[in-house]
Amino acid sequence: MRDILNQLQHGAIMCWVRFRLLEVLENSGTQEAFWSLTQTLTRSMMADGVEDHLGVSSPKVTPGEAVGDELKDDTPGVSGEVMLVNTDSFEECHHELDTQFSGGEDGPVPNSPIRKVQQEQILTQENELVGGMGKVAVTEDEDKTDSEDRLQELVPSAAYVEEENLDEEYLQNPEWIRKEKHVFILSESGKPIYTRYGKEDRLVTLFGLMQALVSFVADSDDVIRCIVAGDHKFVFLVKSPLILVAVSHSVASIAQLLMQLTYVQNQIVSVLTASALTRMFEKRRNYDFRHLLGGTDRLLDNLLNMLDSHPSFLLGAIQCLPLATSVRDTITQTIIQYCSKIKNLVFGLIICQNQLISLVRMKKFLLHPADLHLLFNLVNATESLKTSENWMPICLPKFDPNGYLYGHVSYLADDCEACLLLLSRLRRHHCLEGINTAIRTSFYTVKAIGAPELRHFLYKSKTTAQFTCPEYTAPYHTEAEQRRLFGLYQLLHHRVHSVSRPLKMVYMVMDTQTLLGWVTREFELYAALEPLVTKHNAIIYVNKLLRWIKSDENKLFILNSPTF
Amino acid sequence: MASRKKILLKVIILGDSGVGKTSLMNQFVNKKFSNQYKATIGADFLTKEVMVDDRLVTMQIWDTAGQERFQSLGVAFYRGADCCVLCYDVTSPNSFKSLDSWRDEFLIQASPRDPDHFPFVVLGNKIDLENRAVSTKRAQQWCHSKNEVPYFETSAKEAINVELAFQTIARNALAQESEVELYNEFPDQIKLTNDNKAKQDACSC
Repeated sequence: MRDILNQLQHGAIMCWVRFRLLEVLENSGTQEAFWSLTQTLTRSMMADGVEDHLGVSSPKVTPGEAVGDELKDDTPGVSGEVMLVNTDSFEECHHELDTQFSGGEDGPVPNSPIRKVQQEQILTQENELVGGMGKVAVTEDEDKTDSEDRLQELVPSAAYVEEENLDEEYLQNPEWIRKEKHVFILSESGKPIYTRYGKEDRLVTLFGLMQALVSFVADSDDVIRCIVAGDHKFVFLVKSPLILVAVSHSVASIAQLLMQLTYVQNQIVSVLTASALTRMFEKRRNYDFRHLLGGTDRLLDNLLNMLDSHPSFLLGAIQCLPLATSVRDTITQTIIQYCSKIKNLVFGLIICQNQLISLVRMKKFLLHPADLHLLFNLVNATESLKTSENWMPICLPKFDPNGYLYGHVSYLADDCEACLLLLSRLRRHHCLEGINTAIRTSFYTVKAIGAPELRHFLYKSKTTAQFTCPEYTAPYHTEAEQRRLFGLYQLLHHRVHSVSRPLKMVYMVMDTQTLLGWVTREFELYAALEPLVTKHNAIIYVNKLLRWIKSDENKLFILNSPTF
Repeated sequence: MASRKKILLKVIILGDSGVGKTSLMNQFVNKKFSNQYKATIGADFLTKEVMVDDRLVTMQIWDTAGQERFQSLGVAFYRGADCCVLCYDVTSPNSFKSLDSWRDEFLIQASPRDPDHFPFVVLGNKIDLENRAVSTKRAQQWCHSKNEVPYFETSAKEAINVELAFQTIARNALAQESEVELYNEFPDQIKLTNDNKAKQDACSC
């Protein structure tokens, strides 16, 4: 313990942050350099008047105000009819910040009826916060040699390692240590539940240490949020009765890591329900949750892989399978026709390869993208669903964290990847084989836009909580390049959502590409262009892109919101 | 994640400073002993797998600091323990007298559900030394008065009774574990959509 604490302090900087995540970033050496760089870039670009070219009326518009009057009317993907709860990408994080510090409550979607009904059951958690900022910043310059060194410092060394220990093998294993992102889940009493890499019962002392850190900070009426040591971030999410920890040296920001941990937490709630978690823990603080969560690691593994590569989580939005309106309407009508008689059917949806084909909902109920992501994950991670129709209890944490919906999952046909989910309160057998019609995957590449120097983009329509992006093409055809691009998107996303200094527009010229991030009230756009593209051309391409999306919006997005 | 068969026990070792908590743990886990005294700061963690009957049990041992100035880990630290090991030094009457306050402190901080039957084990350490000051009888009486707490006289230096003591610790904690394992909870039924009135204000837009 003391060794590890010492080691941590050695790693240049250690911070406990209460109020603002960014405090940490400002203190961190490498990040600092990067931010100042990007900020200078951004500022100079803004000074150059990129906004004017893009039709932004004034660079000093207050946040939330409509930008770009000419575009406003024909902003692609805007719809008054909404089927998904529209979200800010960082809704989760902001909520996290709020609740952890106000000693507040779970229950971000305020108007869910279920939540009102069952309010008394909602978990109480998080220490009430009183007192001043608990922040420690220690800077040491001597030992910033290379990342290898810093890695070693994070590992208990010297006397600690001499002891024969089960954890030793992992903590000594460079391959294990170097993993880009570790995720650990433990109970509040320090009992291991899950580790992304390795076996959790071989890391028992490490879990103990994590609990000790949480407990130590909690003792001064504070909550540990993160530790930054060199290029490593240790992000903590304390959600009684669980403690979730991410240890990352990827580009993902602290806020993004926190959001990812919230997804992981939601995944566990989705399996057990929040009330069951709390009840078990109230009954027995030493409860070993692995008993109840047996088999869940498959879902968690898959979720974490998706979080690292799928933009939908980052954007808090859903990708729709591009489909001609007539085809989609036929499918939707078929669902309505067959399912409208089923009592208590809350949602009926058809999904395919993590994309939404059609969603029909009970009037007055909206589906939250985060819940839909969990459904995607469930279908994605469960091979066995392909072989038969399945009934299973599913808790959708945003819909109601304390109860199960009955989910019916079936694939439409053996040769079709489309998958039907029906979520209802009651069990009822029914079949929908007839719907195996015109669903054909119709992806598009960025070539379709006709903007030669545009390489890839993500476009999120905020009102509908949906996004679209082209398939990866060269130079992003390899997995490594795709990961790199995803990291760049994370960066852009972080810049425009920065808590202390949110930006409406970022234009970054880099060695290997030019990045553009643009956020208005209606949409978020993140684009990667050729590194040598001129600003003038970039603007032309982006406008062209928006026009293209507009012309295809009915195909790319679901703009109506059918109900039973 | 582990199958049902794997069991993890959180064991907390408490006692005055210098009674040999770390040494006992080291003897049990690493089969090593050092005469040098190094105060534990905060806590140390060690793991050991033991077989109890035919079950493989992982013991997560939390060695704590006896010195007050190093006890800064917070209330939450003790929570969810499966067993608590109280240690004293048979040559130090004061360390024996402290057992009461250590036990009380633990029960207050960890607040186990059934304090009267929470598995404690008492270890009287350093029986290899000659200047013994607490008699076996006195210690046994104390243990008897606390609801028959198992008592062992150990020597971390000579490895006397250490293995046996920890075996008992694991066994007793396990007995508690399996007792509660019997009732399995069935999760919630959803009661949402029945409530028509609630439905009205469901739209969160």
